[in-house]
Amino acid sequence: MRWFTNPVVQFLAAGFVTLLVVVAATQWLSRDAADDEAIAEARALTGVLGRSVAEPAVPRGLVTGDAAAIDKLDRTVLDRLLVGDVERIKIWAADGTVLYSDRTELIGSVYPLDDDEREILERGGTDAELSDLSRPENRFERGLGGGGMLEVYTRIRSPEGQPLLFEAYFRSDQIADRRGEVLDRFLPISIGALLVLVLVTTPLILLLTRRVARGGRDRERLLRAAVQASDAERVRIARDLHDGVVQDLAGSSYSLSTLATRLGDEDEVAGELEEVSRSLRTSMRSLRSLLVEIYPPDLHVEGLAAALHDVTAPLTAAGVGVDVDVTGDAGCPDDAVALVWRVAQEAVRNVARHADARRMSVTVHREERVLVLEVVDDGRGFDPGTARGDGGFGLRGLRSLAADAGARLEVDSSTAAGQSGTTVRLEVPL
Amino acid sequence: MSPLKNLAALVATTVCLAPLALALDASPAHARGDDDVIRRGDCTGSATWKLKVKTDDGRLEVEGEIDSNRTGQRWAWTLRHNGSVSARGTGTTAGPSGSFDVERRVVDLAGTDHLRFRATHNGQVCVGVVNY
Repeated sequence: MRWFTNPVVQFLAAGFVTLLVVVAATQWLSRDAADDEAIAEARALTGVLGRSVAEPAVPRGLVTGDAAAIDKLDRTVLDRLLVGDVERIKIWAADGTVLYSDRTELIGSVYPLDDDEREILERGGTDAELSDLSRPENRFERGLGGGGMLEVYTRIRSPEGQPLLFEAYFRSDQIADRRGEVLDRFLPISIGALLVLVLVTTPLILLLTRRVARGGRDRERLLRAAVQASDAERVRIARDLHDGVVQDLAGSSYSLSTLATRLGDEDEVAGELEEVSRSLRTSMRSLRSLLVEIYPPDLHVEGLAAALHDVTAPLTAAGVGVDVDVTGDAGCPDDAVALVWRVAQEAVRNVARHADARRMSVTVHREERVLVLEVVDDGRGFDPGTARGDGGFGLRGLRSLAADAGARLEVDSSTAAGQSGTTVRLEVPL
Repeated sequence: MSPLKNLAALVATTVCLAPLALALDASPAHARGDDDVIRRGDCTGSATWKLKVKTDDGRLEVEGEIDSNRTGQRWAWTLRHNGSVSARGTGTTAGPSGSFDVERRVVDLAGTDHLRFRATHNGQVCVGVVNY
């Protein structure tokens, strides 16, 4: 599935899905549009036929069932009524009598009109509905439309002034044909537009992707160069401090201790010199810890244990009981060891700044193919559930660091009296 | 058309037209195929008439013919359907037989359709009736 992370492939896949959605939506919309259009056409045609063809041609006597009037209507207008998609014609009297139909068997029969038809007779207008082919007056339409019939009716008037119902029947599959016509019109437009869009944008996406990738590589190179330059500068500063100030402090401390031993008979002065010497050694340890902060030690050369001793030195100097136990780091990848050191550094720093602990242990050991770091203190702890959103105590940074390396970081802390403290556990797969 | 309806039409025609035939001194003859009825008779003059009715897609095709053996005679004719004038017009005899014919379609209504073809010329009257 690596290919699926390619932005161009993702774009084409999204385009394909969009195409399917557009086709489906177009079909759905065009179906509705076609139905509406076909029904509107049928209504319009029925209205025109009723007003312009049937009504002027209705002879006197039709409302009373006069045979000659029926003959006249049949001879003069039938050909002009069965036009287009019209499959059947019926003219009803208000009492439900079929005054005329091209199916002559119906003429003279009486069937009850439904409410909609009576409303049209009373108020005029045009209405349309799917025919109920189970009704006896529609028995001759059963063979016409396999998919049903659409009946449209409108009001006309006889020469005697009586309202009549003019009804025209259309096959439902004609609506389906209309649907197909609409779809044939709109689908190529929709698909064509989308395909053109994909064709036009795909090269652009390809170009942009390459440009973004190239920009990313450039940024990565610049960042790496900046990090290397920063590292080099920090190495230089650390080396200068170590070779200069630290050595001077060490020499001064040694000289003062030597001088104090010579002043054996002057206890007060010797004691003050010894105190100054201790102060210098404390300053020297602090400075060495600072050097570790400024630039991480070369873990490969100096070893993880020595580095952890250095990083915990300020806590030791502050009177915290510190245990450092490192096993199983031999042969581990440099990245894993570096991650352990970084997390340990941050965890120890948190203990020093926030925990107010009396004891702290830093343990590194191996569990099969996992390198495990545990930093445990008996400090005041905190409630992980109420930790600040910015990742107080640097926890968020630690988690991010661990996640980036595929490691798992767990932080367990409690503020309960007698059980307070924090445990930071890091598991680095090897 | 159903056989029952054909039989009823023949009986009705015979019963109804018997007095008229006597009055016009005509001797109508009739015949019918599977779905048509043909009737013939004499007019009050020397002419003869023929009336043919057959069904066609829910309609009745009515064909009236006047044969006077003289050409150029102008006849006025009327076709009544169930008593109402369904069609009327004029026709002029022509051809070797001196005849004219009229063909009209009427609606085949429920029940028996009463068709009456009447043509007149200079006092001659021809009347043919078919109950179909």
